[in-house]
Amino acid sequence: MGIAVEAEDLRRTYRSRTGWARARRTEVDAVRGISFSIERGELFGLLGPNGAGKTTTIKMLNTLLIPTSGRARVCGYDVVADTREVRRRIGYVFGGDRGLYDRLSGLDNLRYFAELYGVPPREQKRRIGELLDLVRLTGRERERVEGYSRGMRQRLHIARGLLHRPEVLFLDEPSIGVDPVAARELRGAVADLAAAGTTVLLTTHYMAEADELCDRIAVIADGAIQALGTPAELRARAAGRVGTREPTLEDAYVAIVQPS
Amino acid sequence: MSGLRLLTVGGVIAYRALFNWTTPGMFVGTLLVGPLFQLLFFAYLGRQLQVADDRFYIVGNAVLAASLACVFGGTMAVGNERRYGTLGHVLLSPRSRTAIFLGRAVPYAGNGLLIAVTTLTGGALLLGLRVPPGALPGLALALAVGSLSCACFGLALGAVGLRLRDIWVVSNVSVAVLLLFTGVNVPAAALPGWMAAAGRFLPITHAAEAARVLAAGRGIGAALPAIGREVAVGAAYAVLAAALLTVFEAESRRRASLDTL
Ligand SMILES: Nc1ncnc2c1ncn2[C@@H]1O[C@H](COP(=O)(O)OP(=O)(O)O)[C@@H](O)[C@H]1O
Ligand SMILES: [Mg+2]
Repeated sequence: MGIAVEAEDLRRTYRSRTGWARARRTEVDAVRGISFSIERGELFGLLGPNGAGKTTTIKMLNTLLIPTSGRARVCGYDVVADTREVRRRIGYVFGGDRGLYDRLSGLDNLRYFAELYGVPPREQKRRIGELLDLVRLTGRERERVEGYSRGMRQRLHIARGLLHRPEVLFLDEPSIGVDPVAARELRGAVADLAAAGTTVLLTTHYMAEADELCDRIAVIADGAIQALGTPAELRARAAGRVGTREPTLEDAYVAIVQPS
Repeated sequence: MSGLRLLTVGGVIAYRALFNWTTPGMFVGTLLVGPLFQLLFFAYLGRQLQVADDRFYIVGNAVLAASLACVFGGTMAVGNERRYGTLGHVLLSPRSRTAIFLGRAVPYAGNGLLIAVTTLTGGALLLGLRVPPGALPGLALALAVGSLSCACFGLALGAVGLRLRDIWVVSNVSVAVLLLFTGVNVPAAALPGWMAAAGRFLPITHAAEAARVLAAGRGIGAALPAIGREVAVGAAYAVLAAALLTVFEAESRRRASLDTL
């Protein structure tokens, strides 16, 4: 199988200055020594409260941020030394309303990013058509993105992340603000991708989603991994804490991030 | 080959994505009608004060007409990534930053050329300026080079705009500075020395000089040195824009200093 993503003692400190005349320096240790590895084709979940360091971890893996210390490799390439090789192999989907050119149609957004992400010109049209079908935007692709609903934007984000057939896909809260039907479709699409061999790193706040999709889950809080295992292993940890009923992943999550 | 495609096709899509003034009303009003009235204003003022002849004002203001679209366009071409939150997605591209960002200047330069030609034609017709037909190809070249160097100047401002929230203030001041320092409306010889000296490092100055030489019927040979200087100024701003983008990207990866998402 092989390893797709490897993080070794990754750390990231943000230093920021606030104020001007009497500048105050603040330091935030957002990620404090995280190590894990993801197998090729694995669907790996990263769960944790807001501010736990999930996005920071992903940004170190996708080359947008350089780790303060530690090392990481994606498909065997170092994220600091071989950025170009890493970028060719990864896709990144970041949940939210922004990140698209509102004045362009969905189709033109995809055309532009196909160019940027190195999709060969002769394949662009077919690839974009396939993805529009996959995210069910066919028929709406010529409308300006400014008129898209939250869910449509989210689906366009996903199509963009897949343009260049990435080997590793980072999904940072892809289901945020998406209605239940669309969220279910999204889960189906993610499961299909993983079944077809794409490695997926997913962050989400929806425990049922993580439980259903993920092969393994790491729970992080305060920048450190608090637990790592299959959903069943994590659920088993909460046994006995919830009376006689079967513990859910949510029970396990709460027990991990809020130990009594 | 594919780098060329990124420059051209990519540049045009980015133009439509990031330029705010593409609606017909905005375009005609701000970019075509405005500069023509500015040309008329300075030409009549010049007649009144008898500082220089019509040709001086018509040709100079036609070259300058491109500056509004090019300076603000160039600024938008990079700076507006911030507004849409798309910068991170662009920086995830494995492709050359130079091809991605410098290609964006080209549509604005074409836009500027169109505006300059329209302004020159309109001004010449309204004020009765005769331009020798043989000078037209050279004039088109001078206008094109002026527009391109102005767009590269705008890109450099746009790069600064990735870090500076209020870059539009700088763009506004730049347009006013171009009006004064380039010697378009006040002959360079009549400007304070430092202003004329600063003008030599700004876009438009040398293109306007070349265009005047050509409109006077002195032939392309006499205009080439000034065109060469305009090319050099434009190239310097292109290199500056590329350098700023490289430095800001590298710095952002270390210090999270850009709004990458
Ligand atoms: N650019 C930044 N500058 C300073 N602090 C930041 C920056 N980005 C994130 N942080 C801080 O780092 C911590 C982790 O943030 P993040 O990785 O976004 O967490 P998560 O994605 O798990 O919610 C938070 O305390 C957050 O405030
Ligand atoms: Mg986050």
